[in-house]
Amino acid sequence: MNVSVFFFVNQKQREPHNLPCRLDLEIDKISSLPGHVIDKILSHLSLREAVRTSILCSKWRYKWVTVPSLVFDNQSVLVSSQDQTVLRNKLVNIVDHVLLLHTGPIDKFKLSNRDLQGVPDIDRWILFLSRGSVKEFVLEIWKGHRYKLHSSLYLCQKLIHLELFNCLLTPPATFNGFKSLKSLDLQHITMEQTAFEYLIYSCPLLERLTLMNFDGFTNLKIHAPNLLFFDIGGVFEDVSFQGTSHLAIVSIGLYVNADYGRNLALGKPGNLVKFFAHLPHIQRLEIQSFFLKYLSAGNIPVKLPAVCDDLSFLSIRINFSDMEEKLAALCLLRSSPNLQELELLARPEEQGGLRFVANILEEDYQNGPFNQLRLIKIVGIVGHKQELSFINFLLINSSALEKMTVKPATSDRGWEMQKELLKELLCFRRASINAQIIYQDP
Amino acid sequence: MVEADREVMKAEMMKSYIWLQTTDGSIQEVEQEIATFCPLICQEMHSGLGTSKTYPISLPDRVNPAMLSLIIDYCRFHQAPGRSNKERKVYDEKFIRMDSNRLCELTSAADSLQLKPLVDLTSRALARIIEGKSPEEIRGIFHIPDDLTEEEKLEPLKNTMEDSRIRLLNRLYARKRKELKERENLKNAQNEEECVDNRPLDDLLSFINGGNGDSKGATASKSKKKNRKKKDQQKNAHEDNNPSNNISFCNAIDNDKKKTNGHDPSCPKNKLHGLSFPILSQLKLQDTRDINFAPEHEFDDSDLDDEIDPAMKEKIDREVEDFARRLNSDWPERMQEILCLGQEKRHIPMSMNGNDASVKLNPKIKMRSEVPKHSSFI
Repeated sequence: MNVSVFFFVNQKQREPHNLPCRLDLEIDKISSLPGHVIDKILSHLSLREAVRTSILCSKWRYKWVTVPSLVFDNQSVLVSSQDQTVLRNKLVNIVDHVLLLHTGPIDKFKLSNRDLQGVPDIDRWILFLSRGSVKEFVLEIWKGHRYKLHSSLYLCQKLIHLELFNCLLTPPATFNGFKSLKSLDLQHITMEQTAFEYLIYSCPLLERLTLMNFDGFTNLKIHAPNLLFFDIGGVFEDVSFQGTSHLAIVSIGLYVNADYGRNLALGKPGNLVKFFAHLPHIQRLEIQSFFLKYLSAGNIPVKLPAVCDDLSFLSIRINFSDMEEKLAALCLLRSSPNLQELELLARPEEQGGLRFVANILEEDYQNGPFNQLRLIKIVGIVGHKQELSFINFLLINSSALEKMTVKPATSDRGWEMQKELLKELLCFRRASINAQIIYQDP
Repeated sequence: MVEADREVMKAEMMKSYIWLQTTDGSIQEVEQEIATFCPLICQEMHSGLGTSKTYPISLPDRVNPAMLSLIIDYCRFHQAPGRSNKERKVYDEKFIRMDSNRLCELTSAADSLQLKPLVDLTSRALARIIEGKSPEEIRGIFHIPDDLTEEEKLEPLKNTMEDSRIRLLNRLYARKRKELKERENLKNAQNEEECVDNRPLDDLLSFINGGNGDSKGATASKSKKKNRKKKDQQKNAHEDNNPSNNISFCNAIDNDKKKTNGHDPSCPKNKLHGLSFPILSQLKLQDTRDINFAPEHEFDDSDLDDEIDPAMKEKIDREVEDFARRLNSDWPERMQEILCLGQEKRHIPMSMNGNDASVKLNPKIKMRSEVPKHSSFI
């Protein structure tokens, strides 16, 4: 039926054997590709290489000027010179030069050069970009003070992705938010509390939020109805979500060990309940550094009122000697019936801990069947009784367990400790016949 | 079971086919679900074409039969639902293994069919080919003609001084540029012989001898200013700041002096042209790069020709030198006068030869302190 198809298939196979005609071989095919295709090709090259195509031939002279993404990074200036001023001037010249020659929309602008500190020229470039329709803006100031962002940045209404490193954000009073912003990445930034809250609130389409090492605000009120991904690490006192019913991936690291219970009223729900109240569809959760301590402040129920049906991956940094933290972890485990992967990273005992070390009662280990849990990873344990009883608890209750990896912390006691640990591990009963316990060297 | 078989057979027969026609006239039949992976074909189908052999969908020019079969293979693989991401990646990597010529053709064909994933794939492949190669290599691979003149290959925008080859190349280019410019200027000089200055020699001499205030000569030039301005602006395009102005000026001197035997209304200010060149050359005012001012524009190579007598030329040279020296010595006072006059009214009395020109014709001149260097034609 499809003779023609076969014909062409054959022809394709035959083609390499035909002697290609000389004319066909030597025609310049790339220069006649349409402009948007050339732009695509050039945008896969570094800006430097793209600009260098301008000396290929007369047709290529100005093909690079419409490339929609401009990335000025450490490859843009190849001169290595000891003089900071020289380097800086060169980079400023290059950016000016390129911006002046460029035509057409600039979709992405990234400036991340280790020698460029907060020079005032950046203001000029931001102003230039704000007149266009830049969609992605990345500014990384590698060294020096927090760079105060020019106010015209807040006028870039077409921004979809904003990434800042080492900047000071001071949105003006007339700032109405970034109506198209979907992804926000702020690291090492300073901002006022109200400004931060308003920023999050006024970006209705925000889907991804990354915050690392911020100062100027300590209460994280995240009101973002479309948020899907949330990753923060820093020092804060409180985090609360509002309306974040789609939030699926959360990773929180609280870098400071403090008494997080002091602000909680008696009788009111503890932090754990408050935190999960607005995360109905959470799928992946990473609790890092001291965040579990924060969560364990206040009342800890046996099981959360709102069950986390979608939670399939949980990673907790936990201090096994802290009773409250263990209770919080247990509560969480019990409230995640569909959990498949669990990671427990042991935090070594702090000096002068505020909670007294107590063993969890046997009753607390009830109600535990984890029917979906397949993978457990335990890192950094020393071999204390508290740690071991927790592991025992997990093994007994995980009927679908496939693999458990245990990697102890390095310790002065060395092999002795490891031997003890191994002995204990061997004794534990396992609910799952397929379970493998894999011991990894510290 | 027979029922089921029949169902399957029916389903097979129901699988519809689309007819596609490439520019060489050949018509091909392709399963509908595969062909509609391409947005363009999908679109055409919705407007009713392609259902029969007599009304095939005509594919754009850039899709030749070979490319079409490649594209169909690509579509056939990717439209099948059950493939993992890894499988697709592996297939893609193998798929684009072809020489760069075909890759370009494929990109073009995919783009005309609006098949974005394939365009992305091929663009990335082409970028990988270009990456890290020198311009010569790139030209070789893609058969790009090397048709930029040496001087157009200016310093690279990005600082590539690290590479010693590039430094050497830049030096060579700079030298070549200079040579070319000189050659061009000579050529230009020869090309503009038509513009003949037929003013009498007396005029010229008297102008030189009169020094500061030859109103006669000045008046003549005054009336021809309008033409000049237009011409200047045309010539501006050719003018380029370069060291070889010196040479062009010298040529101009020769040419100008030969033209002194006749009037030529279309070439006003020739006297000034003739004057300026020797002055400028002898005063070695060569760094014209940062100067944007009328005198330079005025004194271009336009009004040159080659009829002057060498002996006369020498005489004129000497006289001009005198004039230049005199001019230079009074410059500061002269400057003041010019500035005051400029502010009062546009038409400055022509006691300042050529001042008027510079002020009137090009009001943009900023009479900066640097001006003495180049405006000393006055």
